[in-house]
Amino acid sequence: MRFIVRRLLLFVAALFGVSVVVFAALRILPGDVASVMAGLNSPASRVEALREQFGLNRPLVVQYADWAEGLLRGDFGTSILTGRSVTSLIAARASITFPLIVLGLLVAIMIGVPLGVAATLARSDAARTAFHVAGLIGGAIPALWGGLLLILLFARGTGLIGLFPSQGFPLDGWAAPGQAVWSLILPALTVGIIVGASLMRYTRSALGDIAGSGRIDMAMACGMTRAQAVTGVGLRLAMPQLVSVIGLTFAEMITGVMVIENLFALPGIGSGLVTDVGNRDLIAVQSELFMLAAFFLLVGLIVDLLHRALDPRLATAADATEVIA
Amino acid sequence: MIVLRSMWRRSEGKFALVVLGLWLFVALVSLFWTPQPLLATDGYHVWAKPSAAHWLGTDGTGADVLSWLMAGSRTNLLIVVLTVLFAGAFGLLLVAAMVARKSALAGASVVVIDALISIPTVLLALILAVPLGASITVIVVACGFGYGLNLARVARPAALLAARSSYVESALAAGASGWWTFVRHIVPNTLPVLLVQLSLSAGTAVLAESGLTYLGIGVPSGVPSWGHSLATSVKFINVYPLTVLWPGLIVTIVVVALNVFGDVLRDAADPLSNPELRRS
Repeated sequence: MRFIVRRLLLFVAALFGVSVVVFAALRILPGDVASVMAGLNSPASRVEALREQFGLNRPLVVQYADWAEGLLRGDFGTSILTGRSVTSLIAARASITFPLIVLGLLVAIMIGVPLGVAATLARSDAARTAFHVAGLIGGAIPALWGGLLLILLFARGTGLIGLFPSQGFPLDGWAAPGQAVWSLILPALTVGIIVGASLMRYTRSALGDIAGSGRIDMAMACGMTRAQAVTGVGLRLAMPQLVSVIGLTFAEMITGVMVIENLFALPGIGSGLVTDVGNRDLIAVQSELFMLAAFFLLVGLIVDLLHRALDPRLATAADATEVIA
Repeated sequence: MIVLRSMWRRSEGKFALVVLGLWLFVALVSLFWTPQPLLATDGYHVWAKPSAAHWLGTDGTGADVLSWLMAGSRTNLLIVVLTVLFAGAFGLLLVAAMVARKSALAGASVVVIDALISIPTVLLALILAVPLGASITVIVVACGFGYGLNLARVARPAALLAARSSYVESALAAGASGWWTFVRHIVPNTLPVLLVQLSLSAGTAVLAESGLTYLGIGVPSGVPSWGHSLATSVKFINVYPLTVLWPGLIVTIVVVALNVFGDVLRDAADPLSNPELRRS
C-alpha cells in the first residue's frame, strides 16, 4: 500500500516536472515564441499582435499556470496553423498510428515467435548460427533503410514487384478501409521485421531459460517429442513474459514508428509532431510533447503496479535471483 | 593484449574487431584524405554510376558518395564516443545513488529511474531540439540520458551484490571512503554488464543518429554523417535507388559489430570465463 501511494505521488511529481521542462524548453528559444511563430522578416506589429493574441506578454509564471490549468481541465490548446484543437489533431493522427502499430505488431509476432521457436529447436550448429545471425542483422537495420529496401522491392510503380502504394494515406481516411489498410502494409512490414527480430531473440532466450529449468525435459520424459514440448509446454510457460514484452513494445512504438511514418508520408502522431516542430506551431508542440510524455509515464506506472500485483515477492526477488545466478 | 588475443580467436570477435578497426582507420584517414574534397561538386556528373573517379558514384549535387561516407564515419565515431561516455558516467552515478548506504537516497533513486525510463529517447530528443535545433548535442544528450537510465537499471543487481559483500564491508570498516570503495570494488563487479550495455548503447546510438538526422533533429545539414548520407538519398529513392544501398549497409554492419563486440569483450575480459587471464 505504501508503495502504491509513493508511486502515485511520484507519477504526479513526474507529470509536473515534465510540464515544467517542456514549457521551459519552448521559452528558452533564441528570441521568443511569438517572433519564431511569425517567422523571419515579419513586421514588429505582427509579432506584437501574436504576442497579444496568445498572451505571451504576460509573466512566465502566469503563462505556465494558465497552460497547466488548461491541461488539468483537459483543454490542450489550439494549433495556431490549423486552428483545430490539439485534442482533435491527436485523435486524427492516432487513427493512423494505432492501426499501423497493431499491424506492425501482428507481423512481428508472426515472424518473431515462430522463428524464436525454430531457433530453440534447431540442432545443427549451422542452423543455430543462421538464426543467431538473422536476429543480429534484423535488430541492426536502420528503420529508414529497411523501409527503403521494401519500397524498392514492393512499391507500386517503381518497385521490382509493384504491389503496394509507397506513399501517403487515403484522404478520406478510414471511409475506404481496404485502401487504408493497403497503404499501411509496407510500413507495417518494415516495423514488423525490425520488432520481430527482437521478439525472436526474446522468445529464444525465454524458451532457453525454461529449458534450463528442466521443464522441457520433464515433458519429454512424459512422452512428448521435443517439438511438442517446446511449442506446447515451453511456449505456454513463456507466454506471460512475452505478453509483457509485447505490451511495452506497443507503447514504445508510438514514437518508435516516427521515422517510418515520415518515410511513408503517413500523417500519424510521430510524423505530425515532427511537422509541428518544423512549422513552429509551438502551442501545439508544447501540448503534444506533454501529452506523449504523460502517456509514457502512465504506461510506466501501470507496468510497475501490475508487476507488484502479479508478484508480491518482487521487492526482494530482484536481489535474490541475482544471488542464485 | 591477452583480452584482444582471446577476442581474435573467436570468429565473431574477429568480425567485430575488423569492422571496428576499419571504422577507426577510415575515420583517421578522412581527417587528411578523401578521394574527392567534400565540397567539390561535379555538376556534370550528378547521380553518376560508380566509376574510377567516384568509386561509389555521386549524389544529387555531384558530390562524391564515398568521400561523404568516409567523412561521416568521423561524425558517427564522435557521437558514439560521446554518447557512451555520457551514458557510462550518468549510469554509474545513478548506480552509486542506488547502492548508497543512505536508504532514503537509494529508495528514491530506484523509483525515479523506474518512472523516467519509460520516456523514449526520440521524445527527449524532440524536446531538446525545440530550443537547440538540429545538433549533435541533441543526439548525445538524449541518447546518453536514456541509455544511462537503462544501464543503471541493468547494472543494479550486480552492484548491490558487491555493495553487500564482506570485502566492501571490510574496506569500509578499514576506513575507506564511500566513493573510493565504489570505484575500487563495486564498479569492477558490474564490469561484465557494463561492457555489454555500453556496446549495445553504442550500436543504438548509431541507429538513433540515422533516425534523428532523417527527422531533421540530429546532425545539422551540411555536416557529413551516415544518417545524412541515408537521408539525402531518400528523397531520390525512386530515381536513383543504388545510392541508398551504401550508407544503410554500413550502418547495419557497424551496429552488428558493436553488438557482437560487447558480448565477446565480456567473455574475454572476465577472469571467470577467460582462463588465460587467470594464468598471467
